[in-house]
Amino acid sequence: MIQTLAFYLFALLVIASGVFTITARNPVHSVLWLIMAFFNAAGLMVLVGAEFIAMLLVIVYVGAVAVLFLFVVMMLNIDFAEMRAGFIKNFPLGIAIALVLLAELVLGIGAYKAGALELGVADGSAAPMIGESNITSLGTLLYSKYIFLFEAAGIILLVAMIGAIVLTLEKSAADVRGQQDIGKQNRRRPEDATEMQNPEVGKGVEL
Amino acid sequence: MFDPLEYLPILIFMFIALGISVLFVFLPMGVSRLTGVHEPTTEKNSEYECGFPAFEDPRSPFDVRFYLVAISFILFDLEAAFLFPWAVSLEYTGWAGWTAMMVFLGILAIGLAYEWKMGALNWE
Repeated sequence: MIQTLAFYLFALLVIASGVFTITARNPVHSVLWLIMAFFNAAGLMVLVGAEFIAMLLVIVYVGAVAVLFLFVVMMLNIDFAEMRAGFIKNFPLGIAIALVLLAELVLGIGAYKAGALELGVADGSAAPMIGESNITSLGTLLYSKYIFLFEAAGIILLVAMIGAIVLTLEKSAADVRGQQDIGKQNRRRPEDATEMQNPEVGKGVEL
Repeated sequence: MFDPLEYLPILIFMFIALGISVLFVFLPMGVSRLTGVHEPTTEKNSEYECGFPAFEDPRSPFDVRFYLVAISFILFDLEAAFLFPWAVSLEYTGWAGWTAMMVFLGILAIGLAYEWKMGALNWE
């Protein structure tokens, strides 16, 4: 009873937030609505028993939305009149993408209705739950069977990090201003820095 | 096993929080509407004395280094998220799982070392 009510509450809020995300005039407002949608999707995940996925949605997606904020503020250089002008120009492309998504939806639901498609199980076989909770099962599969995919994810994260550094950092390591090499300072001896001269009377110092 | 009713207190808390925040927003509005005199004029709604119209859009583009910090945050956030299932499933995965995570951490440590060396963590 309570679960059904909670499901309808969360589902309704997800759909409403999604609608507001795409209809909001201000891009920053649509990002805020997107955060709302993610929180409610996390609620839905809790309801189906995927607690770890729910927490992941909150931790990672809402964190990623912070980066979306940055994109909105930094990249777009918001000019509302100009954005609406682009709407007409990009309208055919938008319609094409919407049609592709609609076709995917229809195909997916059609394939599901045709039967012989088990939802919610990885490779069609009913996998028994390992351990006492789904986070344990997830970890057990991820760090034994899908170990190479996991390491590939690490490589992808590394590429993302290096890419961000290469794209945003215009200066190289050599000319970082104000960087102090303490070891070099300590290694410097008075003999290297100064030179004793004893010039004769009437003659200067040769440099 | 999983029991959704364990989350019932959180749901109740959410409703209480929603109710209280709605109260905080709308109660002062309603009270002031009912008790105060509400006669807006053009002169009252204009900027007050030394207030002046804004010079420019407050959302000016800012330094790209904030973006670098945000990307680093996301990456290490993900790394932490991978650590949770690893930690609770170690009794099933054993040394192989442990080594896999160490390799993963090593890969990301290379990225961190590169970032550090490039001076991306410096803020001048």
